[in-house]
Amino acid sequence: MTIPNPIFKIIFISIINVFAISTINAQGHGPLYGVPTPTLAKGGVNLNVAGMSLGTEDKTSYMLRYLFSYGITEDLQVNLTTPTMIEQLDNAPRTRGNSNMPANGDIEASLWYRFFSNAFGVGKRFESTAILGVSAPTDGVRGQVNVGNSIHGAISTGYASRTWYAWLGGGYQYYFERDQEQLGDLPYASAVVGYRPDIFKGDYPKPDWRVFVESLAEFPGDNRYLGQQDFTDSRSKKVLVGPSFLGLYGAWGISVGALFPVVQDLTPSAVKENYRVAINLSYWL
Amino acid sequence: MKKIVLIKIMVVLGTFSSNAQIQKVDQEVFGMDCAPCAYGLERGVKKMDGLQNVRVSLNDGKAYLELSKNNSLSLRRIQEEVKKNGFSAKQAEVVIEGKLINKNSGYELETGTETYSIVTGASDDLNSKLKAGTVKLKGIVQDEEDGNLSGHWKIKLTEIL
Repeated sequence: MTIPNPIFKIIFISIINVFAISTINAQGHGPLYGVPTPTLAKGGVNLNVAGMSLGTEDKTSYMLRYLFSYGITEDLQVNLTTPTMIEQLDNAPRTRGNSNMPANGDIEASLWYRFFSNAFGVGKRFESTAILGVSAPTDGVRGQVNVGNSIHGAISTGYASRTWYAWLGGGYQYYFERDQEQLGDLPYASAVVGYRPDIFKGDYPKPDWRVFVESLAEFPGDNRYLGQQDFTDSRSKKVLVGPSFLGLYGAWGISVGALFPVVQDLTPSAVKENYRVAINLSYWL
Repeated sequence: MKKIVLIKIMVVLGTFSSNAQIQKVDQEVFGMDCAPCAYGLERGVKKMDGLQNVRVSLNDGKAYLELSKNNSLSLRRIQEEVKKNGFSAKQAEVVIEGKLINKNSGYELETGTETYSIVTGASDDLNSKLKAGTVKLKGIVQDEEDGNLSGHWKIKLTEIL
């Protein structure tokens, strides 16, 4: 398995983009792939620019995504994410991209509600967040199936401290039928553990780094085609694990990570994956 | 005659408001774990009028605030800013100048915008040295529920300045 040069193109374009839009601001100090919990401050504005790549046995996809976020209150946040597809797969695996963005050509608006928060010590807190999103596709056909609008819901609970982090979450994405065809749904779960070594515990405003081990379990349903006689409603089962790194400095944040499949129990129409790579740049205003 | 009385009242009130104020706050903050959290809090606090110097420490879990002369900031406003950033404001070490009045066999310090009841107990030796009038005190303001801040605080004295 090789990671081709275009990934570096994505990284480069991401950096250019985030600097170009740096008058706004971003959030993203949670996991890269897992469902996160942190929400913005009241009135906080935030921008994330992400580059994503997914490699199958035949082809690799590349995409840029932009996520605009605004904190209505310290517990309620509204988001809008839009894609720039660079290279698409003919039959892309059904998955979420980063923790807070779709992996395909959908434009998604979402609301995050942190319904539980308990700050119980210096740098320590438990919190739980519910996410509800709606999306509309920018592409008409995906994997030879008409693409409809979709809804996405997720819930996550997490622990943060100056040393350890952990998140557990799960979600579900449902695509509506369009012209008698329908993309398969996606139930999924995520688990993330993070650690910040002593060497990276320099006090603010020094840089702040941490490392995560992220895991995703996905159960994508098969697509339904027009005139299909033998639709069996079968599901693939995937488990992916990988590292990610998060660096924070002042108002800036950068996450880099990869996931590799450790379990792929696929239906005949599903595509085998080799890896997923992502980079996310954040700026807080 | 009325004008003279009015001018005297204004002078007295003006003198009181210029002296009665918080001068320094070391605010304990729970739940702040990352650099952008500290950045956001620092930025939010700096937007408030009346601050001379602000420093946020992740490792201490504290916001260190030095207030300018003649500021009209209240501890309630500072703690509300902490909450607005998604964190929990706990106890605070403060230096306050205000009018000390004897009330219900105890003392209360008034700053014009807030009232601080002097807690009796461990600091009784210090409390016995208190006299009504304008004073400058250092003490620990006890934690109040973030969602129920009234501007009436309990303070345990650590020093009479």
